[in-house]
Amino acid sequence: MDIELSAEDLGFRDEVVSFFAENAHKDGEDYNQWRMDWFAKAKDKGGWDVPKWPTQFGGPGWSPTQHYIWEQETAIHATPWDMPFGLGMLAPIVMNYGNEAQQKRFLPDIRARKVNWCQGYSEPGAGSDLASLRTKAVLSEDGTYYTVTGTKIWTTMAHIADWIFCLTRTDDSGRKQEGITFLLFPMNQDGIEVTPIITLGGAHSVNTVHITDVKVPVENRIGEEGKGWTYAKGLLQHERTGLAGVSRSLVALESLKDQARTIARGNSTLMDEPAFKAKVADLEVDLMALEFTELRSLASASAGAAPGPESSIMKLKGTEIQQRIQKLTVEAGGLYSAAWGATSVGPSFARAGMGGYLASRGYTIYGGASEVQKDVIAKNVLGLKKSTSVQTSKENGRNSS
Amino acid sequence: MNFDYTDEQKLLKDSVQRFVADHYALENRIKLASNAPGFSADHWKTFAELGWLTLTFDEAEGGFGGDQVDTMIVMEEFGKGLVVEPFLASIVLGGGAVRRGASKALREAVLPGVMDGSIQLALGYAEEQARFDLDDVVTSAREDGDHYVLNGTKSMVLNAETADFIVVSARTSGGQVDTDGITLFLLDSTSDGVERTNFPTVDGLRASEVKLTNVRVPKEGVLGEVDKGYDILNAVAIDGILAIAAEAIGAMEILYKDTVEYTQQREQFDHPLSEFQVLQHRMVEMFMEYEQCKSLLYRATMETAQGSPGAERTVHALKHLIGKAGAFIGENAVQLHGGMGMTEELRIGHYFKRLLVIDLQFGNSDHHLQKFAA
Ligand SMILES: Cc1cc2nc3c(=O)[nH]c(=O)nc-3n(C[C@H](O)[C@H](O)[C@H](O)COP(=O)(O)OP(=O)(O)OC[C@H]3O[C@@H](n4cnc5c(N)ncnc54)[C@H](O)[C@@H]3O)c2cc1C
Ligand SMILES: Cc1cc2nc3c(=O)[nH]c(=O)nc-3n(C[C@H](O)[C@H](O)[C@H](O)COP(=O)(O)OP(=O)(O)OC[C@H]3O[C@@H](n4cnc5c(N)ncnc54)[C@H](O)[C@@H]3O)c2cc1C
Repeated sequence: MDIELSAEDLGFRDEVVSFFAENAHKDGEDYNQWRMDWFAKAKDKGGWDVPKWPTQFGGPGWSPTQHYIWEQETAIHATPWDMPFGLGMLAPIVMNYGNEAQQKRFLPDIRARKVNWCQGYSEPGAGSDLASLRTKAVLSEDGTYYTVTGTKIWTTMAHIADWIFCLTRTDDSGRKQEGITFLLFPMNQDGIEVTPIITLGGAHSVNTVHITDVKVPVENRIGEEGKGWTYAKGLLQHERTGLAGVSRSLVALESLKDQARTIARGNSTLMDEPAFKAKVADLEVDLMALEFTELRSLASASAGAAPGPESSIMKLKGTEIQQRIQKLTVEAGGLYSAAWGATSVGPSFARAGMGGYLASRGYTIYGGASEVQKDVIAKNVLGLKKSTSVQTSKENGRNSS
Repeated sequence: MNFDYTDEQKLLKDSVQRFVADHYALENRIKLASNAPGFSADHWKTFAELGWLTLTFDEAEGGFGGDQVDTMIVMEEFGKGLVVEPFLASIVLGGGAVRRGASKALREAVLPGVMDGSIQLALGYAEEQARFDLDDVVTSAREDGDHYVLNGTKSMVLNAETADFIVVSARTSGGQVDTDGITLFLLDSTSDGVERTNFPTVDGLRASEVKLTNVRVPKEGVLGEVDKGYDILNAVAIDGILAIAAEAIGAMEILYKDTVEYTQQREQFDHPLSEFQVLQHRMVEMFMEYEQCKSLLYRATMETAQGSPGAERTVHALKHLIGKAGAFIGENAVQLHGGMGMTEELRIGHYFKRLLVIDLQFGNSDHHLQKFAA
């Protein structure tokens, strides 16, 4: 065991930092152009635009330590915005279960950030119990296309997405997990209606997507008909690993401390107040531990082992920590955290605090609600069975794996 | 020992309850909150007609002569509807300071209007550097002949936007954090030098930054004695805490009950969510926290109303628990509703936001725990 970074790793860090510095957005520079150029240059570095992709699809093939360094530095530096749906969620499915034609067709545009994707899984009746989804897909008699009808809900960014990857039901005669088919189709067509859902922080990021008689050619089906659940489960794994946000939390915790230091209390600051300080310290302890839990999990993954038990707690602990940071930010803002609307009053950080806190309540709901996530750990890690009449873990939960 | 309401109090509770049931469906509340002035003038008139605006004032002056228990009854019901009319600001806070501190002449000039709803009041106690300390006051008041001249900014003043008069604390002597040397003034909100910046708060209410630049207040506008305003301010703050704690209890009741209801309706995995033991236990905890808060509310309210020694310490305990339990209940109401809990469309989010703001008003949970332990 050794926790020092090697000379090579230190060199890699320097290279990353100088890449970020050289390609930082300049005042007045067109944002979109900069964003496209940034990814193009990252690609030229040898796959830095797709750090998590395997080498055969153009990824950089980094060691766990290099990934860790990259995560840390991207949390600190301003990098272009990115959406996880195509890059981190769909792409692995296409790589693993898509055919070569699909890989050629979809991956380059995802990589170039040309096409934005959204995830059409949840439905009004199918949230935690995702396998009960009912959006219907009926194969045409000549076997060339599906006709899709149904309602998806909570679809993040559906209002700006170009394409959707969608779980549909092609057969409801067997177990719920059977008869689910994984389809891809464009959002901009007749029969698709997107209505916004405004969430607690006042933001519009999620939507309801009504799908009526949308025709999807069979070429847009991933893998076999009726096997979509298997593919989706693999994808959920990817969704979850991205949600712990350790590096981002480390940065957020530091800025929380800086913010608290701007709140004067007599001759000292809020950061010196015992109760506040203790809460920040308590949070920091958990985060220090989680940082190493993540490293342990990265290391075992790179050694080719199946994700160890430590990986299963990343999403739970990571989201809880993010929520605690948001909550302390609201506390630090004091009365001013209540101010809403355009007027800025009190310390400058206070305006964003409440919105961030409210949005953070969703972290323990999406990507598998915490309670369901714990069921999965109970079953898969602790080897526990449910003996009550309530069975959730027969592989039908959103997070069964 | 008796926890029962009098017949008169039961009538009061019933009438507020009926009003909330008739007028405070979520869509109505949202409509009121999102259009100026942020509440309904008609409702305010109703409050006056039903006598609610006289609740805390002396019978001899035309009031109902109620105490903190009566206010608690009204505020708990208001909390169940998230009522936006400025009862807290005008009657409990501004009215509380005027009734305690104003000269007879000033009371006669202002209170009849307050009680018939034609005059609204507000209380400006907070300042940015003060965080939650009532005695940290840098807004200054300088004597000038038969006037005082006020300079400074009072922050996050609830209902200042529509208030005709604002009670403000200002320093007439002493250092920044001395309790001595604070004086309360009743100032006409249209006076020269009063500049209000109005904005919504996240809970659907409205507040203002009130900037005072050489504002001249006649000496008759002093509430209580010069330099001795802190005790009145503190007493008003305690009333304010008891009132918003009662409001919080009302909001908590809605949150836990809506959650119990929703989890019985919503099915996943072929079962109502309410059948999962982990959720049952969570709801039991929400319920227990609510009951514990209610016990402390009763305790603090009765001790304060009866002037028991140690009442103030109980108020600190109450405000601490309300903040802590409010977050717990609100967060879990959202969690157990899943995605639906995150929407503006369901009412629980609105109650949750009000609880969050209640924690920030008159000192948050940590602030009061420190005071309690001191
Ligand atoms: C901000 C946000 C963004 C989202 N983005 C997307 C997206 O882009 N695409 C998409 O497909 N979906 C998305 N979702 C949907 C998300 O995946 C679901 O909200 C989630 O799966 C929970 O489902 P539900 O909301 O129907 O809650 P329900 O399944 O009704 O559950 C409600 C609550 O009950 C509890 N619970 C549920 N089951 C159990 C159990 N077995 N045991 C114990 N407790 C349980 C949990 O506390 C849960 O939070 C998003 C959600 C949010 C809030
Ligand atoms: C100091 C002491 C003094 C006692 N004195 C007496 C006495 O004088 N006379 C007497 O008759 N008995 C006595 N008891 C026994 C006591 O009543 C039992 O210990 C108690 O009923 C729990 O039973 P158990 O120990 O068999 O635990 P179990 O029933 O085996 O339960 C173990 C744990 O499992 C959990 N659990 C159990 N059921 C559920 C459920 N349905 N849902 C979720 N979790 C559950 C609980 O956490 C529980 O602690 C005493 C016990 C102690 C510790």
